[in-house]
Amino acid sequence: MRIGDWCVVTTGIVLVVVLFQQLWSHEGATRVQIRLGDTIYGTYSLNQQRDIQVDGAIGPATVSIMNGKARFSKSPCHNQYCVHQGWLSRSGQAALCLPNQLSLELIGEAKHYDSLNY
Amino acid sequence: MRKGLKPLLIVAACCLAIWGYIAYKQPALYHSQSYVFGTLVDISIYGEPEERAKALTNHILQDFQHLHVQLHAWQPSTDNSANELGTLNAAFASGEEPIHISPRMAEILRDATKLSQQSNGLFNPSIGHLIGTWGFQRDEFSAVHIDKAHISNLVKANPRMSDIVIKNNTAYSKNPNVKLDLGGYAKGYALDQAADYLRKQRVHNALINIGGNIIALGQHGDTPWRVGIQHPRKPAAIATLELADGWAIGTSGDYQRYFMLDGKRYCHIIDPHTGYPVQHTQAVTVLIPPQAVHSTQAGTLSDVASKPIFIEPLAQKSTIAASLGIQHYMVIDQAAQAFVTPELQTKLTWLDADFKKHLHVQATAQH
Repeated sequence: MRIGDWCVVTTGIVLVVVLFQQLWSHEGATRVQIRLGDTIYGTYSLNQQRDIQVDGAIGPATVSIMNGKARFSKSPCHNQYCVHQGWLSRSGQAALCLPNQLSLELIGEAKHYDSLNY
Repeated sequence: MRKGLKPLLIVAACCLAIWGYIAYKQPALYHSQSYVFGTLVDISIYGEPEERAKALTNHILQDFQHLHVQLHAWQPSTDNSANELGTLNAAFASGEEPIHISPRMAEILRDATKLSQQSNGLFNPSIGHLIGTWGFQRDEFSAVHIDKAHISNLVKANPRMSDIVIKNNTAYSKNPNVKLDLGGYAKGYALDQAADYLRKQRVHNALINIGGNIIALGQHGDTPWRVGIQHPRKPAAIATLELADGWAIGTSGDYQRYFMLDGKRYCHIIDPHTGYPVQHTQAVTVLIPPQAVHSTQAGTLSDVASKPIFIEPLAQKSTIAASLGIQHYMVIDQAAQAFVTPELQTKLTWLDADFKKHLHVQATAQH
């Protein structure tokens, strides 16, 4: 191959990479991020079936992941608002347990907003 | 140089350039979450070195923690900070002897009194006894026994912000039934304090969220900050909007602090005139533009202004909004119908198809 060929190949690679970055996004969430207090406890793929035990500020909670969704399924808190939030499935959705200082947020390629007003 | 190597080098250089470009394009966003004020504090800072953003965030959080203890309605002092509000409430209850208050407390009380009068007493931070009676001066809420006679007595005692007399950094109350609870003021005030601090530190781009009340500085890179408005009954956003520099947004809802009793929802927003939690509204969102210097700032207004609009019945909501100078607001009633002013509607991007379909766009009342 000559220089010109290499230029074509390189341009091709550049185009593919840039277009992939710009255009490859989808609505659905791919991961769930669990935060405990002011730290990120962990980020997990939604593409699995799994229960995660997290020791929160007031006790152990269970976060369930199933087929692209995540939720609080058990919590030691009194009001159980976090459990009643139910399944989260779309990117940007979040559930919060204030007493236990735990939060879930679904992360995907596209984020609709920077912060949530509630 | 060997002939075959040159093209490889070109490819490698190009790949490096792409990688460098992508790394450069990565947003310089610092994001932190913590728990202060009994709620979630979420701070984003854009365009500052990570170390600096971290130090600024820590400074803000320390200020918040200090403010939290100073203004707490039912927790005692800690080793580091005094619970000034508790001391003041004790003094109010015991007689008309003036006690010393900090310049900050004087400023807050004057401003809150002005807002209380402007809202026809619907924003009333002096009804701490009522709020406590309904069980909302606790970290966790549970159903309370509703003592009608007791509630009626607390309303008849008629505590008002104008009962408080402030003079030369001292204060006393003409009415011993005044008990301050700044739950509808402190978070908004803290937003303004944090925004002010960041501006003085020459931070141009930040988004601060205290328990759902948000204020914006600058923007998120090339685009404005974008915030979502929570669905009152689902873990999702119903709409999003751009929050421009200096603007703030706040929502009062019946879904964050409430208890259920006999199938009825009792939320933390209490009508000072009846003494009972409001049951006709699910949520009120207000969007506040930057305010003139020396008047109530945007963060504080975003916290305060949603309460009187929440409390008034639907027919009167626009009148009270107008008297508070609020043009951008949205109401979601118990039938999950959304009423939005045209000023706010033009700024919203709807995500929830049900709300969008049954939307009522209504003009604000004129003075």
